[in-house]
Amino acid sequence: MADDEAFSNISGKAISLDCQTHSSFCREFTVSSPKMSIGKVMVYTCSVWLLAYAVFFFTENTAVLSSAILITLTGMMLHIHFVKVDHESLLVIGSLGIQVSSNYASGREVTTFIEMSRIKDIVINEAIIYYLCVLLKEPSEPNVVSSVVPLFQSSKPRLNCLAKVYKSCQEILSKCQ
Amino acid sequence: MPCFLLMISAIMVENSPSPLPERAIYGFVLFLGSQFGFFLFCLWAYVPEEWLHSVGLTYWPQKYWALAMPIYLLVALMVSLVVLFGINMNNTAPLDSVDNVTDVFAQGQRSDCCRKGGIPRLEDVSISEVNKMFYLSSDLSEQKVQHHQVVQRSAQHRQKVLCPSAAAGRDG
Repeated sequence: MADDEAFSNISGKAISLDCQTHSSFCREFTVSSPKMSIGKVMVYTCSVWLLAYAVFFFTENTAVLSSAILITLTGMMLHIHFVKVDHESLLVIGSLGIQVSSNYASGREVTTFIEMSRIKDIVINEAIIYYLCVLLKEPSEPNVVSSVVPLFQSSKPRLNCLAKVYKSCQEILSKCQ
Repeated sequence: MPCFLLMISAIMVENSPSPLPERAIYGFVLFLGSQFGFFLFCLWAYVPEEWLHSVGLTYWPQKYWALAMPIYLLVALMVSLVVLFGINMNNTAPLDSVDNVTDVFAQGQRSDCCRKGGIPRLEDVSISEVNKMFYLSSDLSEQKVQHHQVVQRSAQHRQKVLCPSAAAGRDG
């Protein structure tokens, strides 16, 4: 079931949530962040280059111009490879585990799998923001929360989106944990 | 000065912050005392050293401190404001910390079963229960009522140092 209501992240920018039900015990939720806008990129590039040209105008040193070009290029490449997240997804497979992955704008994908014996629950916690997190437990102590893994950290959806994902996850977790 | 009105007399039985004759007297005495102290400070700061020596008062701090001490106090006040904010930001647990979910006291609480028909003991409700109550209950209007009624002793309140600016804005 693909679903696209008007969700937004905590800054107010529009994000989209896509829920896919692969089977009765397997669901995947993908939250997509807004894409980089070409206008913003051009504004940053032009401002950096104008600044470099102003410095060149006063210092008459051509190294300023070439270094500005290099800095903008490498800065943009590093940004899209390490910082800019395209979409984040949560795949819940009943009685097997969950898989959390972030896809960056350059195509890089970072994936983590957590097996079901280590998962205590998936809850919405309220700290400074509302965020969805996985509570992990040690197999030796099933009643103690040993660590917390926050989900959707880059897209930061708001509470209505989180509640939807939570309800859907709990349907699977309550059946087969 | 209003803060001194909170002093509680030994004769009083009840503790209330209402104005009383004793408190008015304390306040006025302190007001007079502080005005007199300020007058003495100005006197010491302005009277030249020779006059003080001629009267016989020789062992006073250098006149440098007449300027330095007020300035130190004001700068300390402003820096402490920034430092207070910084301490609060530093002590806020990161989102992946277990302290946002539970703490030593909540884990150590005994869950003895209540008597039939009795009021259950006040205890920390686990976050899974709270979530089920908020987000999985079927009646939407009941959800709003339960949101106000659930008492959840959050572990992060225990960490916050010095409350005034600690109430971080909640986003929903």
